[in-house]
Amino acid sequence: MIQNTNGAILAVENISRTYSGAEMPILEGLTFQQNPGEFVAIVGPSGCGKTTLLRCCAALMQPDAGSVLHAGQKLSDPPAWLSIVFQDYNRSLFPWLSVKQNVGFGLSHVGKRERDERVAAALAAVRLDHAADLYPWQLSRGMQQRCALARSIVVRPKLLLLDEPFASVDAQTRFDLQDLVMEICREMSLSTLLVTHDMDEAVFMADKVVVLSTKPARVIEQVAIDIPYPRDQLTTKESSEFLRLRHQVYTLVRQQVRH
Amino acid sequence: MTVSPQRIRALSLQLLLLGGLLITWQWASITFPSPTMPPLQAIWQAYWRLVQGDLLHTAVLPSLYRLLVGFLIAALAGSIIGLAIGCSRVLDDWSRPVLEYLRYIPAIAILPPALLILGPTDTMRIFVIAFGCIFPVLLAAIDGARRVEPTFLETARINGLGPVARVRRVVLFAAMPSLFAGLRIALGLGLIMMVISELIAADNGIGFFILRSQRLFQSAGVYAGVLMIGTIGWLLTAGLLVLEKKALHWHRGWRGLLSE
Repeated sequence: MIQNTNGAILAVENISRTYSGAEMPILEGLTFQQNPGEFVAIVGPSGCGKTTLLRCCAALMQPDAGSVLHAGQKLSDPPAWLSIVFQDYNRSLFPWLSVKQNVGFGLSHVGKRERDERVAAALAAVRLDHAADLYPWQLSRGMQQRCALARSIVVRPKLLLLDEPFASVDAQTRFDLQDLVMEICREMSLSTLLVTHDMDEAVFMADKVVVLSTKPARVIEQVAIDIPYPRDQLTTKESSEFLRLRHQVYTLVRQQVRH
Repeated sequence: MTVSPQRIRALSLQLLLLGGLLITWQWASITFPSPTMPPLQAIWQAYWRLVQGDLLHTAVLPSLYRLLVGFLIAALAGSIIGLAIGCSRVLDDWSRPVLEYLRYIPAIAILPPALLILGPTDTMRIFVIAFGCIFPVLLAAIDGARRVEPTFLETARINGLGPVARVRRVVLFAAMPSLFAGLRIALGLGLIMMVISELIAADNGIGFFILRSQRLFQSAGVYAGVLMIGTIGWLLTAGLLVLEKKALHWHRGWRGLLSE
């Protein structure tokens, strides 16, 4: 049954979720929408349930109340057009498969030649072509996350979810990866949902920043980021517009923490 | 390939110990001659008959055949059933009471019932070996399947894999280290069951050969038989280790990173 969500690719409506045995819900009455092609970043205080929210958005988990609609439909399993990059690549990239095999993992229904071509293209897009026959655990952290990214885009998704994807890499690698993700998302016209604890990153990358409260998490405010793409690590981050928005998001989050 | 001085020293010590034991035995068997302590040549002759002579076909090969068949049946059945139970809450609840009881029965105790039902046949012997081998594999498979990283399974779900495909393409590999540990233990148990089944109810095989030698007071044969069992155990375990190294070549590299 397709419900009317004004064409939103992802509509989270009033969801709540409590883990069994917990006194308090981790999410409560959380609502936001994502339009096709939008880059949405979700920020909030540490431990506020961002990862739980992401899993509900991925249809890996069902909320206890409320609904998550993917292109207007309520789903019990992740749709084929949804991809996700997890934070911990060590526990997401299969160590018994090479980089090439990992990237091609979701393409088993496709013929060998097409699979090889698409894998090669995805590896080229993330600049990992030279590492195709290596194993993930032989790569650096940044390269492993790029491998995870290649795996998620090779299936030609419409919606890409990223769960704190750069949390485990060093700062310089983080900047490179941010640029890479933005470039790929624009080239492929993806809708992107980024969960991050890094507020700078959220403001830098997104069209819209959704700020969550502390537990039980709900949406405090949605901040529109009107800075034009392509954005530059140096010049954009010095612009007054960026600084103003950054200030706004920081204030919102810190207000939560003080409570 | 250069061998380090430490390695040479270690090897020399080991050879020294072995050599010392052999020399002591030989000296004792000559100085205090006794039917139960034959000289080394006699033992070696009997052993050689097992390796290359007539006894190869009447003793070694039948035993090997039963052990391998029983072990393979247990390995296959134990892995498949164990992975299924480890992945399915329903199957786990169902099977738990039975398994939690059966696993504590020493495998040897299965001999009389097996003999009763199946008679002194090869089927009985293979069954008994399989029974001894299956529990370590089963329990290792269940444990391995339960401990698969949740993110691996989530990744598989995101990529559209259904429950069976997830087991076949993810759980099986993620649980492989655990499976191999179970297989190693199972091999040892299988060897025990092989010998015992042949001591109790057989007309060929190594166990039977040892028993017959013992009854005929052919002590060289007894010792040679025991040495052959050790040889078989050693060779099969070495073979399993080679297989494990190949199949799990990725494991050490990955594990090393997990701690970061």
